[in-house]
Amino acid sequence: MKRKQAKSARNAAKGMTRRHFLGTAGKTAAVGAVASTVPLFNIVKAADPTRTVGLAVSVINEVQMKASDDLGFPVRGQALGYGAMFGKMLNQNDQYDIAEGYFNDMDVMWPSGTWQPIDTRRIKDWDKVSNLTKTGRLSPDSNPGQGDAPFRQIWLDGNGKRTLNGPTRYITMVPGWHNADSIGYNPDETGRPITSWGDLFHSDFRGRVALLNIPQIGTMDAAMGMEALGLIKFKDKGNMTRSEIDKLIEFLIVKKQEGHFRAFWESFGQSVNLMTSGEVALESMWSPAVTAIKAEGVKCIYASPKEGMRGWHGGMSISAKLKGKALDQAYEYINWWLSGWPGAFVARQGYYMSVPENVKKSLPAVEWDYWYDGKAAAQELPDPYGDIIVPKGEIRDGGSYWDRFSNIAVWNSIMDENDYLVKRWNEFLSA
Amino acid sequence: MERTVLPPHPGLIGSEAIAPEFIQEDQLKKFRPGFSAAWLVAPSAIWLVLFLVLPLIFIVVISFWNYSLSGMVPGFTLEHYVEYFTSSIYSRTLLTTLRYTFTTMVFCLLLAYPIAYFLAMVVKTYKWQMSLFLVCMVPFWTSYLIRAIAWVPMLGRRGLLNNVMIDFGIIEKPATFLLFSEFALTMALVQLYVVLCIGPMFFSLAKIDKAIIEAARDMGASSLQIFRQIILPLSLPGVAIGMIFIFVMIMGEFATAVVVGGGKFSVVGTLINQYAATANYPRAAVNAIFLMIGMMIGVVFIMKLVDIRKQL
Repeated sequence: MKRKQAKSARNAAKGMTRRHFLGTAGKTAAVGAVASTVPLFNIVKAADPTRTVGLAVSVINEVQMKASDDLGFPVRGQALGYGAMFGKMLNQNDQYDIAEGYFNDMDVMWPSGTWQPIDTRRIKDWDKVSNLTKTGRLSPDSNPGQGDAPFRQIWLDGNGKRTLNGPTRYITMVPGWHNADSIGYNPDETGRPITSWGDLFHSDFRGRVALLNIPQIGTMDAAMGMEALGLIKFKDKGNMTRSEIDKLIEFLIVKKQEGHFRAFWESFGQSVNLMTSGEVALESMWSPAVTAIKAEGVKCIYASPKEGMRGWHGGMSISAKLKGKALDQAYEYINWWLSGWPGAFVARQGYYMSVPENVKKSLPAVEWDYWYDGKAAAQELPDPYGDIIVPKGEIRDGGSYWDRFSNIAVWNSIMDENDYLVKRWNEFLSA
Repeated sequence: MERTVLPPHPGLIGSEAIAPEFIQEDQLKKFRPGFSAAWLVAPSAIWLVLFLVLPLIFIVVISFWNYSLSGMVPGFTLEHYVEYFTSSIYSRTLLTTLRYTFTTMVFCLLLAYPIAYFLAMVVKTYKWQMSLFLVCMVPFWTSYLIRAIAWVPMLGRRGLLNNVMIDFGIIEKPATFLLFSEFALTMALVQLYVVLCIGPMFFSLAKIDKAIIEAARDMGASSLQIFRQIILPLSLPGVAIGMIFIFVMIMGEFATAVVVGGGKFSVVGTLINQYAATANYPRAAVNAIFLMIGMMIGVVFIMKLVDIRKQL
């Protein structure tokens, strides 16, 4: 059977491009699979799969399986690490249909022409997408924050260039999952609540602090700390000048030589280990790490610094290579992501979705109250896979969704001086 | 030109010395006429060209390309090379990497040689030699990363070592230099790579014909003389191969610096990784090229010290 499939796939491959070949091979295999279980005359022609690529934050097996069931065509996901994802999105847009990317990479992705404009008229629930990504303000008095906030990266003018003058008909990326990061700490070790980014550099915690070792984001956390201490005022923490970078790095080098930093972490797992093993008292952290640390029986609180958190926002963009049927499927997949079920799925991992009202419909009230409304859990709550991760009575750190996202200090960004930043960051590490 | 194919070296582990039976090369040629040796070499040659030579050429090519935030642009610029030489961070990182590598190699040599010597010379039976050698390979049964991470509960603030020292009253507060420090990094690198050099050292020591040693002893040589004049020179190729192995691997290593060094050290691997993460491939390529040049110089240097070919 298998050999037959391979052979027919090989025949089909003659005179075809690689992309067609892959599609046909998949189809042939699918036909074969169907044929082996049902009578021969009942052959179903399966659709070409929609291929999506991103981080494990959104590219999840269960999500793709559900999408395939709901949509009637297969969705295949590839979850990569950040660097690999970035490189693939930029350089191989014939290898995916949907990029589950991040607004902070738009300065690189959009001018490269790797993605195509998305027509908001084809996005069914476009009017339900919240204002966070449209105007930058969830409520009129929100602080939109510095850096690559989605509303600065989303709109396209008539020539397909990004514009700050939204709303327009075409966009770069359909907003999806997002969250805000801050500092995680063990209250037993710090002995007091952490309320400011400046605490990252407080001498009480010398030798008990870890920073995120991704230069683009790590510098922003450090910048917020330095600014909170009143040592400097950055014009835009999301796009620092060389002299601002120099001042920041010099400050960090002094701190490093004082032995202030215990370690620098690069992966989620490392940040969890640092806290559970008692190596650090506080560290810059991604929010799902708090849940993982608590699951190990170690106390951990996610700080809600008065200066605001550092936000990040993911979403879906479409490869510039896509057209015809494949493009239609891509829009269907994007619409499906906004339908509510996927948002409810990622909500149980602590991520927010751009269409809160649709998520509310798909999420039981007790779960909605906890994850979005910032209320105490009325009962034990599960993660997406059914394991209990929230005990009864617990309150989510950082308040409600609207509180959290009304005060974003800075959004993840790629700065114009990125190369200089990476270089200076390495000087800091090797100091 | 008359060439002869040498018989297997007598005294290989487990084999009794076999009387050499010289085979003429033209005798070999009669074996399966018309079958060219090129066919045997072809698969690996094609493989290497496709997946080693071409990518290497490509690395060199893109190191001259222009880079902007929106990706690479084919072209020719020396900008990345100028940057490499005008900013001290790159060469400093390379030197740091060399320093860790060299320290680790010294410790590996000091540890691995006695172990290999013990296995080859002191352990008498083949069965025990092999079982103990396999024991040395046990660490390879777990993933490399797990071996590195296992140092955290050993050396951490609440780690085994600190607990023991506090319990015995040697220290009052947990010693923090044990983990996320140069000490931790060197120690972990030694532990990770020492097993790699035991292998080649063991094989070259085991190959030494015991009859030579016996003869020397009969002629009244002291143990030290035997070691210095017979065992050491004959085992040097194994030492060199072991050193080349770990030299090349440690130079390109960056995961240990992250996990055990706590990311506090910048090595060439981390630098390349960070440039690649934002698709600045030209700059990553320049760093990779100089890393490779550093590696090649190191390997040539080791080969100059020991003529591997001659002594194998």
